[in-house]
Amino acid sequence: MRKTLLVLATAVTGFGFAAGQATATTLRVYLDADIRSTDPGVNRDGNTDGVVLHMVEGLVGYDARGVPKPLLAENIAVSPDGLTYTFKLRADVKFHNGATLTADDVVWSWNRYLNPKTGWRCLTDFNGDVGLKVESVTAVDPLTVTIRINEPSPLFLANIARSDCGMTAITHRSSVKPDGSWDKPIGTGPFKLAEWRRREFVSLARFDDYSNPDSEPDGYVGSKRPLVDEVRFVVISDPATAKAAFIRGDIDILPRLPYSEADELKPNPNITISAQPGLAATTFLLQTRDKLLSNVKLRQAIAAAIDYDELVGSVTYDLATSNSSLVPVASLFHTNVHQNGFRHDPALAKKLLQEAGYKGQTLKITTNKRNQANFDAAIILQAMLEAVGIKAEVEVLEWGVQTDRWQSGKYQIMSFSYSSRMDPALNYEGAVGPKDSQPRKVWEDKMALDALAEVTGEARNEERQKLFDRLHAAMIDQVPLIPLFSTVTAGASRKNVKGFVSNVFGAPLLWEVRKD
Amino acid sequence: MPTLLIVAVSVFVLIRLIPGDPAQLMLGDLATPASLADLRGRLGLDQSLPVQFGIWFGKVLSGDFGQSIASQQAVLPLILQRFSISAQVVLVAVLLASLVAVPAGVIAAWKQNSSLDLSLVTLATLLLSIPTFWLGLLFLLFFGLKLEWLPVVGYVSISENVEAGLLYLLMPIMTLFLHEIGVILRMARASTLEVLRLDYITHARAKGLSEMAVLWRHAFKNAFGPTWTLIGLVLGNLLGGIAVVETVFTIPGLGRLLVDSIFARDYPVIQGCLLFVACTYVLVNLVIDLCYPLFDPRVTAA
Repeated sequence: MRKTLLVLATAVTGFGFAAGQATATTLRVYLDADIRSTDPGVNRDGNTDGVVLHMVEGLVGYDARGVPKPLLAENIAVSPDGLTYTFKLRADVKFHNGATLTADDVVWSWNRYLNPKTGWRCLTDFNGDVGLKVESVTAVDPLTVTIRINEPSPLFLANIARSDCGMTAITHRSSVKPDGSWDKPIGTGPFKLAEWRRREFVSLARFDDYSNPDSEPDGYVGSKRPLVDEVRFVVISDPATAKAAFIRGDIDILPRLPYSEADELKPNPNITISAQPGLAATTFLLQTRDKLLSNVKLRQAIAAAIDYDELVGSVTYDLATSNSSLVPVASLFHTNVHQNGFRHDPALAKKLLQEAGYKGQTLKITTNKRNQANFDAAIILQAMLEAVGIKAEVEVLEWGVQTDRWQSGKYQIMSFSYSSRMDPALNYEGAVGPKDSQPRKVWEDKMALDALAEVTGEARNEERQKLFDRLHAAMIDQVPLIPLFSTVTAGASRKNVKGFVSNVFGAPLLWEVRKD
Repeated sequence: MPTLLIVAVSVFVLIRLIPGDPAQLMLGDLATPASLADLRGRLGLDQSLPVQFGIWFGKVLSGDFGQSIASQQAVLPLILQRFSISAQVVLVAVLLASLVAVPAGVIAAWKQNSSLDLSLVTLATLLLSIPTFWLGLLFLLFFGLKLEWLPVVGYVSISENVEAGLLYLLMPIMTLFLHEIGVILRMARASTLEVLRLDYITHARAKGLSEMAVLWRHAFKNAFGPTWTLIGLVLGNLLGGIAVVETVFTIPGLGRLLVDSIFARDYPVIQGCLLFVACTYVLVNLVIDLCYPLFDPRVTAA
């Protein structure tokens, strides 16, 4: 009975039942939800970016530490006035349809992104709506492109490499239908689209003519050899089912798993756990316009009430260490200054509560269950606040509802995780801003606003470091939010999978990964 | 038509009462006010609610349920595709459950207070009490992980391959089958017990008819009415989506589509699904009512 069933299903469906019985070079990777589209940076979410960026590439990409480096470009020259970027393209790069990459393809792709009809998610970052404007994209010769912008921007390359912008990928014009609508990605990535069966799986096939940069693997740049014939992203909504499939070998890689699951799977001899501090930040946001929390002494008391090592260790099962800075641990800018953060001091917390005139009012901690770390942190915070005499209750919301509250600023304390941002300036940009026009901002101090404006336009790293240090010190003093830790990405792979490691991006990178 | 309008308005208004913005959920916390405004404009969410409703309902009347915000797919073909998958599981499970539970319920009533009756009632109550997600996970653990007889992940359409399709649907069908046995058996037993106490049954026995003849020819026909109605309700309810079972067994059915769409605030899909579910429910119960004359001559006479 068992043998018959195994043979039947394996032969007919392509879903193998046991490790080793599946096709040897098909790597099966878990996705908790289907991708939204295959159009880079247009209809997207984190899963979409993670899949699509195996098929397409941009002029620049992020290295393993999140620094933008040439990808399809061989080198990049910036004019002295900082307004013209000249990209020399790598020669003999092939698209999935066999065509060779030229400067015309770059111009075509950029024009498509800058056309409002495309619906590019990052259009407003490049069309002048928020300052920066790409004024022209010009092919100088078949392998040279210039991009002219309206004002110097140290973050220009970092922005075009963003995964949520689809890496501003260069695609071949046959990616769109004759009417201009998106068809499928004809890119230059190490894998090409084989089949997308909605809500079931996305299958990518090895691109045999991939033009591999001759260097060591390094995030989205460097060597990106496709070492398996097929990568199949399997959509499984229920995490328990995904775990069962992984344990049995029906799935080879769980790219992201809750910390508790990583801890549970660790002793399994058939499984390798990989953890890496990422660029996202898990925080408590404090509403500084709230009647109670507008009192800085109360906010400082809350910060002093938290035992950071205990909280972070419990929430992450000791996978992460506490980080009170918005500059991620993995960033080049995370210096000793940023290791000096909030300190657990219950006596100080009680003293500050007295100075704040706190009279036992109840504070509400808003959280969700989609992100288990947010929920766990909220529960622990409640207990730690109670320990110093602050009454607190936890309000658990569905993720969409919590997002709405965050957007409108309607909360007192919110357990919240910011997405990965590749530059610390973007991390501060997520938090700093005027609440009148953008209620989702948590910190509207003038010094912070000025420092943020300055660091966004500053190219010199030494100067940027000073500004980040100043912002950090002010944040610790004013407590508009309490960063807890740089979110760790924990992934798991079967022992027969070699080369899979978690990374700062929190997305699976499946080139240079093989399956024995 | 008035029913359709009431359902359409209710669905349209209710889903918008839930806080959450589709554009915000699509763009995440990296969104800027400009990018949010741009996306809302492209999705038509910047227009007034009456205008949005008018556009949507006008299209619905012409058979166009609109386009998914999340996947950009046409909603009606998407719903029909997902519904066909859910229907495969539900129809088979309810049919099998009815075939087992109705005779078992009648027998339990016939042997009231015997050990057989007590065993069947206990079993039915137990099956009814077990949540389907838990039962599903038990199946996954036992048949999927421990015995490795059945696939844990994936789905193959029966139209592609009958044998493999059945293999993938076996556990979800078994889960629903066992749960619905509990529901139907209890109703079949209760309604049969009620009929067995009536005078005409005593009269039939007094005439010297065999117990089999009394039970199946006289009692069953009258007792089956309420059970048949219940089967219709169960069918209508389950055809509206078996989200939990579909989630546990990764079946891309209508229930999962609806739940995913709610989380993503994909208004056109939610509206389309709920409208479709309401119509299905009404249609199933209409068919159930029309079938009454087949076993109850009084309905034809009336």
